[in-house]
Parts: sequence; structure tokens; C-alpha cells
Amino acid sequence: MTKQETNIIAPTLATRRSPLYRRHLQYQAHFKQVGDNIVVDSYPNEGAINDEIEIAKSMGLCDLSTLDRTGFKGVGTPQWLASQSFKVPVLANTAEEQSSQSLLIKLSAQEILVLSDLLFLSEDVKRLYQKAVENHQSYDQQIYNLPRNDSHCWLAVTGINATELFSKLCAVDLRSHKFVQGAVAQTSLAKTNAIIIRHDLNKTPCFYILSDISGAEFLWDCLLDAMSEFHGAPVGLSALQTLASNQ
Amino acid sequence: MKLLSCPLNGLRNISEFTYGGEYHPTPDHQTTSSRDWAEHVFFHDNTAGIVIEWWCHTPSSFWFLAERNTLTDEVVRTFTPDELYTKSIIQHETKPETTP
Amino acid sequence: MKSRLPAPYGRLINRQKPIQFTFENRIIHGFSGDTIASALMADKQYLLSRSFKYHRPRGILTMAGQDANTLVQLPSSPNVLADKQAIEDGMQVTGQNYTGSLIRDWGALLGVFSRFLPVGFYYKAFFKPRGMWEKWAPLIRKKAGLGVIDQSLKPAYHDKQYKFFDVAVIGGGPAGMQAALSAAVGATEVLLVDENPYLGGALNYSRFDSDGLYASGLLQQLLNDIAANPNITVMTDAVCNGWFADNWLPIVKGNRLFKVRVAHTILCTGALEQPALFHNNDLPGVMMSSAAQRLLHLYGVKPGSKAVILTGNNEGYGTALDLQDAGVTIQAIIDLRKNPDYDDIAITAVKKGMRIETGQAVYAAQHQGSMRITSVEVRKLISQGICSDHGEIIACDLLCMSVGYTPAYQLACQAGAQLSYDDASAMFTITNCPDKLHLAGSVNSLWALKDVLSEATNVAHQVTNELGTTDLVLESPIRSSIPSPNHPWPIFAHPEGKEFVDFDEDLTIADIINATGDGYEHIQLVKRYSTCGMGPSQGRHSALAAARIVAAATNRTVADTGVTTARPPFSAEQLGQSAGRSFYPARRSNIHYRHLEAGAQMLQAGAWYRPAFYANKNLSTQDCINHEVANVRSNVGLVDVSTLGGLELRGPDAGEFLNRFYTFGFIKQPVGKARYALLTNEAGVVIDDGVACRFNKNHFYVTATTGGADSVYQSMLKWNAQWQLDVDIANVTSAYCGVNIAGPNARKVLEKVCFDIDLSAQAFPYMGVRCGLVATIPARLLRVGFVGELGYEIHVPQQYGEALWDAILDAGEEYSLKPFGIEAQRILRLEKGHIIVGQDTDAMSNPNEVQMSWAVSRQKPFFIGSRTISELEKQPVSRTLVGFQIDDKSAPIPQESHLVLSENQMVGRVTSCCYSPTLEEVIGLAYVPPEIASEGDSIIIKSTNGVLVAATVTKVPFYDPDAKRQEL
Repeated sequence: MTKQETNIIAPTLATRRSPLYRRHLQYQAHFKQVGDNIVVDSYPNEGAINDEIEIAKSMGLCDLSTLDRTGFKGVGTPQWLASQSFKVPVLANTAEEQSSQSLLIKLSAQEILVLSDLLFLSEDVKRLYQKAVENHQSYDQQIYNLPRNDSHCWLAVTGINATELFSKLCAVDLRSHKFVQGAVAQTSLAKTNAIIIRHDLNKTPCFYILSDISGAEFLWDCLLDAMSEFHGAPVGLSALQTLASNQ
Repeated sequence: MKLLSCPLNGLRNISEFTYGGEYHPTPDHQTTSSRDWAEHVFFHDNTAGIVIEWWCHTPSSFWFLAERNTLTDEVVRTFTPDELYTKSIIQHETKPETTP
Repeated sequence: MKSRLPAPYGRLINRQKPIQFTFENRIIHGFSGDTIASALMADKQYLLSRSFKYHRPRGILTMAGQDANTLVQLPSSPNVLADKQAIEDGMQVTGQNYTGSLIRDWGALLGVFSRFLPVGFYYKAFFKPRGMWEKWAPLIRKKAGLGVIDQSLKPAYHDKQYKFFDVAVIGGGPAGMQAALSAAVGATEVLLVDENPYLGGALNYSRFDSDGLYASGLLQQLLNDIAANPNITVMTDAVCNGWFADNWLPIVKGNRLFKVRVAHTILCTGALEQPALFHNNDLPGVMMSSAAQRLLHLYGVKPGSKAVILTGNNEGYGTALDLQDAGVTIQAIIDLRKNPDYDDIAITAVKKGMRIETGQAVYAAQHQGSMRITSVEVRKLISQGICSDHGEIIACDLLCMSVGYTPAYQLACQAGAQLSYDDASAMFTITNCPDKLHLAGSVNSLWALKDVLSEATNVAHQVTNELGTTDLVLESPIRSSIPSPNHPWPIFAHPEGKEFVDFDEDLTIADIINATGDGYEHIQLVKRYSTCGMGPSQGRHSALAAARIVAAATNRTVADTGVTTARPPFSAEQLGQSAGRSFYPARRSNIHYRHLEAGAQMLQAGAWYRPAFYANKNLSTQDCINHEVANVRSNVGLVDVSTLGGLELRGPDAGEFLNRFYTFGFIKQPVGKARYALLTNEAGVVIDDGVACRFNKNHFYVTATTGGADSVYQSMLKWNAQWQLDVDIANVTSAYCGVNIAGPNARKVLEKVCFDIDLSAQAFPYMGVRCGLVATIPARLLRVGFVGELGYEIHVPQQYGEALWDAILDAGEEYSLKPFGIEAQRILRLEKGHIIVGQDTDAMSNPNEVQMSWAVSRQKPFFIGSRTISELEKQPVSRTLVGFQIDDKSAPIPQESHLVLSENQMVGRVTSCCYSPTLEEVIGLAYVPPEIASEGDSIIIKSTNGVLVAATVTKVPFYDPDAKRQEL
């Protein structure tokens, strides 16, 4: 996508808006539209995308809040998802990437979170949402959908220094060799409840954060403040997409 | 800071948890005596030794129980509520089967 | 500068990097690596500070940052340890605690009157008659001040960080270095912490063999091994200031507080050298042996030219050899022991022909015409602490004390370990350390270097075995039999006193004895009465001597007497360390910025930001609020209710669950209807309220108060953990953004943006709930009426909130729809007589008292508070929440919690009160006794400034009592 196309997209074009869109506007972000979603393409800087990729490799912060995600709860949930050909992890607090590229996270024996992939390859979230609306709205099968798009903001902290950042905000040991690919922690981040998921972008460490959407700006500011000593900065989705697609 | 082992999330700082009071089966509202009801609501056993307590892992809203020695502040073990509450309490007459 | 000894002396200083600073406006030259104290000593500045009480001249004592003798003032901070603080170019250092100048301190005259300043003096002299202390305090505080605070200072950025290791080794001396190396095997991650800027501890300055070469070789080898081991993280200049449960260690380094969690802690904190007590033992020039050795080896500074060594062990001989090697004349070694048991080092000193006097003591130090020691008086020891009648004067400018150590037991004792003392050997032991806390080295009373290294290895292997990284067969560590370095009684009372026990607080032997004489025999009481051990050095050099003196004065053993409790922090901590970066979570509705753009004044309710009212520069605050009220009553208004709690209850037992949880009945609640939900706890107290909306047989959407949502949710989960009903409970508070459109024109506005729901009063009546699209956004609509007008709460997925707000404002433009804030909402609801849980209820309010019996179902088996409520109903009511109207509208409007009086006795209180712009009356709610709770009863309220205001109990609701308007 070229700059001309992205420049004219305003985050308010969509009725569904990230709680952080004003922060992005402050940084004069370039937005882009993917399907119904408006996301930050990149922030203005000297070398544009290449610079952001370098930042993301070291320490970057990206807002994914307008990307699709969903969740399900209830005794029947794991079995139902398995019957929909999903690979459901055995252990709670584990994430498993699906062959369709979506990420399925088991939060407890009865609770699952599903995140779409950064390249928009998978339709899993939309499909599951439709299925749930069609089949489970009478709530008599112990499967309950959760409005994860709206209850939680979705951020990504990337780069080899990401764990240094977390050590200033979180009392759980998230260092690379202790908190490996697929690990999940439901914990307190800057005194806010958060789900932290390790899901690397190929060789670049990446941590997804899902946290109460009403506290999104507070958390965003805390993360940026804690990043400053490591020269971390916000990055657009395009940098992450590049890292995710380059094998 | 003390560590507490959550049956779902593992060892975490105690600041991630909310204390939920001592485990105490609720007497039957309709059949219990006034005295026993008052004991249940207003009086605490204040046991010196092993007690069972409710704890909630706040970030995941996960409730569990802990056996704690009030003399040494040592948590002997933690476990999920279904160990004590084995089936759905459908009628108000039904009480949890196990008492410590 | 030329006074410095050549290398290898001065291992910490960089002679290529001179640094210039000032002390008391005098220019001082030092080197990079110097502390303030070492540079001053090199410049022959022996006087560093004045003591706290008598303003006595003080100089270097420990050279280890452990005593208050070296507290100096920097422009930005007081109480800086001169023997710890590194010098910087241009630094301006001054002394503390003097009137006039450091040299001529008039306050020192106090010392002359010291016998009129006995222990407990402050309590005795200034607290009677009552109130006198307030008059004396400012004068005394000025006299006894410790430095000056720069009030214009801009605080530096302080920060906190978590760290994780398998093992923390506290103390980087030989024991700590060896323990770290032995533990850092396999995948074991080790943190090695030392408060000094260098590792090695005593290996840097102490003498471990007769020719003084062994230590530096060993140190270099350990340093190399540590540097080569990637598993070891070294933190120097870092203080572990406490031990907390489960090995949680606060480590302070620079402006950052590290919160370190480890599986095992090995304390290698070493031992602290102790002073001897004799007349004038506080003069500059009298110092610990180790202080003299530190000056020589670390900074290349000769601590004097003529030295006397007072010793009770063989270490003193090592100091003598060190000093002699550096060119200091040894005048004499005064050995307290009558028949010393010499080791190789001592024998070397003897062979060198030094003057050695055994069975003798330094009885007093003198300072003829100087601020510094000029001679000592040496007397023969007759019995414990008793010297012969006369002795010999020996000239000297340095007296080194080497009479023993106490282990640095503080962290171990914080962890609950027991410190015991053996009177016979004068040795300490530390026992009962918690699991996973270990000791190694001199803190564990090991003195021979090979013993220390062997124990450190052994303890480390024990730890790695427990961690599972090794499976080693442990050999028992070596324990050589060497004489105790601790002399049991280096205490020599003098008729003129001034044998200081506590240098920080200027306490002498007599002060401690007098404290026991005044009846304070317990060591903890002695501490509090005398202030012994309460100064900056926290008893590090006074606890042992005080215990010995108290033991003797009360005919007990030192073991029985014990020492005072050690509490965190181990060393002084800046407030900034704990006040550093903190988090105050803030929650914002999706509409937040629309409020700001419309001029809203925001207020914080818990973590949430809410609009209080929308300001208009032409109107007063009250007028703005009143206009908002009027617009809702006569037209239509819009309020953001996103902060209300939202809980989804889904499943076959959802109705049963609500039936047990809330007071009302919910099982027969029709689909498409809302019902009021009042929550009580087991004590029958009202703790929250909301509405329960039934969207289908198995699905309820329940609202909760802004402040109560999280605890209601947690409470629901806890109850269902017991009930095990087939229901799922989800907190969707943040997932929904809500607005309430209220006023007679609400329907007309809504009709412009909502097409798939029949909004007519018949099709969608009061207390109805519907799902549909509002401005194309999927929405839940609730016809509820907190403000008492025709109104719709519209709840939409959070990320659509702003678009919804914009669409409704657009649609409402032709009706002059205006947003309103929390303040207007409070007035509107009060006009309707609706209570706010938490404001109109307290920790005792039951439904009956707040006239909510109608919301309590008696048709169901039970709910959480049912038994208590039925018990309470058998008892007479003691108070009732009633509405009232003020008789005289010009009287000062009562505020929340103003008292209701009856015959001048308080009988109740106001919970809400305001001017109602709709009724043009002052209305409110108050708790009153049942005797005066009937409509028309008169009550008296004690309003602002004590003005008594008459009011009349009034029927509630004040406004629209027949509730016609909300049902339009």
C-alpha cells in the first residue's frame, strides 16, 4: 500500500474506533483500511517503514485494537472448538497457532480466546462469531461468546528488548527463556489486569497484551514511558506485518 | 512479598490476589437457629492453626481455597472449590458434603 | 596529593583523573575513585563533622559507610555519608551540625554541661508542665538538626524494576564471590550484590598472611572466574535493604529500586568491626583497624604518622604490619589479652620488634590543643574493665581499634533468624534461618579464609542440589580451630565519662547504666529511653556494647540480655526510592473526548473519568447544572452512563442465580422486561443496586453501580463457586458504552436513528428492554428512568460509543438536545427520591430502613441476606431514610453528613441535599428516628457554621409522585 492511499484514511471513517486513535493522531500516524478495520500503517519518520521495522526488532509498541478477536466460555467450549477443527491446547494459559494462522488461547479449562492473524489471512474469528450467533444464542449448550473486541484493547510489544520493558511494569518473569513461545500470563501490568501472550513474529519476540479497553490510554502511556529509556517507540501494523511474513 | 500458588495461574505475588474470608458453609436460611445464623455472619473462629480461606486471583477472577497455618503464615496447599462443592446446590436444603 | 602512597596502594583511585571539590569553601584535590572522606584525609582534613548532641568533633570511624561520624551536607542533600559518596568535580561539601564554623562550633560548649544533659533528659526536662515541649521543640530541633533540605530542589526521576534469579548472594566478599561461583552451575542464574563499588570485601584491604600477598592473588582469581561466568549478574554499589517473605529483596542502586525475587538467598554480609570504649574514644584519629587498612589499600592514604594499635585479637597485628609497611611508625601494640595466642601474622609482627604491651588497655585518649588525637594513656588491666590507677602516656596521631566484630545479622534477623551470643567465647551465632535462606562466611562467625571459602562452596552446592541443577554429595565444610577475634570486654569506664557507646546519639557508659537505673532494664526499653541504636547507624556499633553494659548492670549474661530487633531498611533509604514511579490506572469511556470537546469538567469516580457538568463561560457552575436539569425536565438530555457495571448471566440457571443473589424475584421475570435488582450481603446490608434485563429465557444483562461493578462480579463468582449453578457470569462493563437519552422529547429523537424497534409506549413500555440498531450500531435499549423522565438507556459495543454519541447529538439538534453531567443527574434523581447506594446508604443500612421493602421478595426460598433481613424485621426500626424540604429557602443548604438534631441531641444525619431547580425548593434525604419520620414532622438540621435549619419531612418522590412522566 502506498503513502498516497494511506494518508487520506481517517480513523473516524469507521464507526468502530480504537480507544487509542487520538494518540495516533497526535503522532500524525498514517492509517490504512483493511476490510472494515482501520489500523495504523506507520508513523511519520525519516526512513519510514524500514526504520519502523528496525524499531520493532528492538522495542516497538503497536495498537491492534481494531483487529478481530473473540472469546468463548463455558464447559462446552473446548469440545465445541475441537469439533470446529481447532487445535485446543491441553494446558490452561497456553496459546496455539492454528493452521489458518489465527491464535487460540486457552485461559482456563472453560475459557478460550481467539485472535486473528496480523496478515488477515484467517477468517476464523468471523466464522466463529457467526456460528455462535446462529447456534448458541439460546444459551443452553454451555457455550457462551464473549465480546473480546470491545472488552479488551489489544496491543503488541515487540523486539529483543521487550522483556526489559516488562520488568518495569510486571512482577511476572517474562524473560525469553522463561516465558517461551505460546506462554500466557494473566497478571497485573502497571496495576492493570492484563493477559500477556508470547507470540513471536518469526525471529522477533512479540508479546500481545489484552487489557481492559477503558484503560487503554493509561496503559499505552505507561508502556511508552517505560520504553523511553530503551528508545522504544510506537510502530504501525505494516512493520509487524513485514516481520510476520518474512521467513 | 509473599507468594501464593493459584491453582490456575501458578505462583504469583500476593498482591495479585483478593482475600475472600474464611471458608464457612452457609447454614440453611430457613432451618438454622437465629444464634447459629448470627454466629455464621458476625463471629469469626480466629483459629490458631490450619484454616481454610477463600482467595481470588484478581486478574483472572479465579476463586480457590487455601489451607493456611495462621501461626506460621505458611500456606499448606491451595485447591479449587469443586473439591468441597461437589455438586450443584439445587435445593436450599442441600449443603456442601464436605466440611473440614 | 603528594601524601598518597604509591601503587599498589590505592586500588580504587585513578591517579590519572584528578578531581577538585570544596569542603567548607576550601579547595580539595582528590582522584576519581576517592570518597569525600578519603580525599579529605589525604588533604589532612581530619575533622569531618560535629556530633548530634554535644557537637563533638568527629572524623573517620569505619571508612565503610556504616557510621554517622562522616555525615556531610551537599547542596542538594543532607546526611551524605562522606566515606561512601564518590567525589565529583565542583562538588560543594560542608559539615553539618555546627553553630559558627566547623572548627569553632559554639554548640560544642554543650559538652561542658553534659552532666546536666543526662539520659532521658528530654523526657525529664521538657515535657513538664504539659505543653512545654511545643515551646522547647523548635529550639532543640535547631540545635540537634541533621543537615539542611533544599526546598527548591527538583526531585530526580526515581524508578522501580523487577528482577528474577534463582539465587541471590548478598555481599561480594570472599564468601559471596565463592558462593556465587559455586552456585552458578548448569542453568542456575545468580545475582551477586555488594554495597561497595567493588567486589572482594576484605580481600581488598585486609591481611590474610604474614607477607600480605595472598589476598590479592585470590581476589584476582575470583574476579576473573566471575567475569567469565555468564550465569552471574554482578550488582555493585547496590544495597539489599531488607528481606521479605519468600525471598523478596529490595535492592537499591542509584535512583532505581529493584524488586528481586529469588528461590534462594545466601547471605554473605560479613561482619562489622566494633569500637572499644574508653575516655575520648570518639576523637578524630581514633578509628577501626579496618578503616585504617581501607584508607591505605583502597585510597593510598596514610591515616597517620604515629600509630598505637589497641587490639584484643591477632588482626590488630596485621594492621600494625600494614601500617609499618606503608611507612607509619608503630608506637605500640596494646593487647588486651594477657597471654595472646599468636598466629603467623602476629608472630611476624613480634619478630619485627614492635613494642607490644599485653594485658594492658587504652584508658583514655588526649588531644592537647588539637581537634585530633595527640596521645593515649595506657594502663594495666586488673580485672574485667578495671585498669590500674596510673599508666603511661604514649604520643600518637592514630589509634586503631581491633577488638572484635558483630556479624551483619540484620537481613537474617529480619527473616526471623535468631541471633545468640556465647558469653564465654564472645561469639555470635545465627540460627533458625527460614528455608531457602542461607549464611556463609564471617556473618556465620567463620574467620579463617579457607573455612569461609569451604563453607561458601558447601552452601552453594546445597542450594544447587535443592534447585535440582546438581546432584552433589556434600562434604562437611572445614572448621579450623582459631582463637575468637572478639574480646569479651573492651569497655573501660572513666571518672570523667566520654566513653562513647553510641557515636550517633552521644551516649556514654553512664547513660546506659543510668537507663537501667531509671528502671528500663529490658534492652528494648533501654533503646527507646536512651535512644541508643536509634541514630543513622542503627546500632551497628553500639548494640553489642550496650548489651554488654546492660547485662553487667542487671546481673545477666549478654546472651540473656540480647540485642534489639533489626528492621528494614538496613541502610538509610531516600524517600524517592519508594515514591518513585507509581501507577494510578485511569479508565475512560469511549465518549471521553466528546465530553472534553463540549467543555465538560471531569471528575474521577474510582478510576473512571466522568463529566461533572458542561461549562459555559457565561454561566456560573450552578447555573450550568440547573440549565442541564431544566433541559431534561422540559426537553431532552443525553448522559454518558458507560461507567455503570454490566454483567452477563447466561445459562439455564441464570434466573435461579439472580433469585438467590438479589433481593427481588427473577424466575418469573418476562423476557423483554427489566427489574430492579437490590443487593444485600449476608448481614442484610444494602451494598449495590442495578437493573436486571431479561433478553431471553437463559440470558440476563444486569447493571451495577460504577464503584460496585468489580466487587459485585467477584462476589457473584464466589457464590456460584459454592452453588455450582449452570450459569455463566461475565463482566462486560468495559465492553459496552452506554448513554441515557432522557426527557419528554427522547422518543422523538430516538425515532430518527432507530427504525427496527417499535418505540411506541404500547409496544415498548416503561421497564421494557429491546435489542435493535441505533444509528446502524447494534444496541441494547433499556426503558429505565433513574432521572424520572421518559428515557432510554442505549448500550452499544464499546468501540462504537463515540459514533453513537455523535449520531444522537445530530438527531437531537432540532430538539435542542444537550448533554448533561453527573451533577445534574444527581439533582434529577434526588427530585425523584432515588437513592445512591454508598451515599444514601452506609455499612448498616438494610432495605427496610431505606424504604426498599418493596424490592425484597418473600416468595422465594432464600437470597443472600434473607435470613438477617427477616431477623431484623422482628426488631423495632431504629431509623428511617426520609425525604425532607427546608422551610426557609434562604437558610444555608445542609451538606451530606450534617446532623439531624432533636432536643440538642444528634438523632440522624443528612445523606443528600440540594436546591431543586424544578421544584424551586431545597430538598434532601436524611436518616431520622421513627418518631419523627412521618410526613409533616418537623426536624432540625445543624447546617454549615452550626446554623440550625428547620425542615419538614416530605413525601418521596418530591417530583412527579405518581410516576407518570417516566411512563409517557
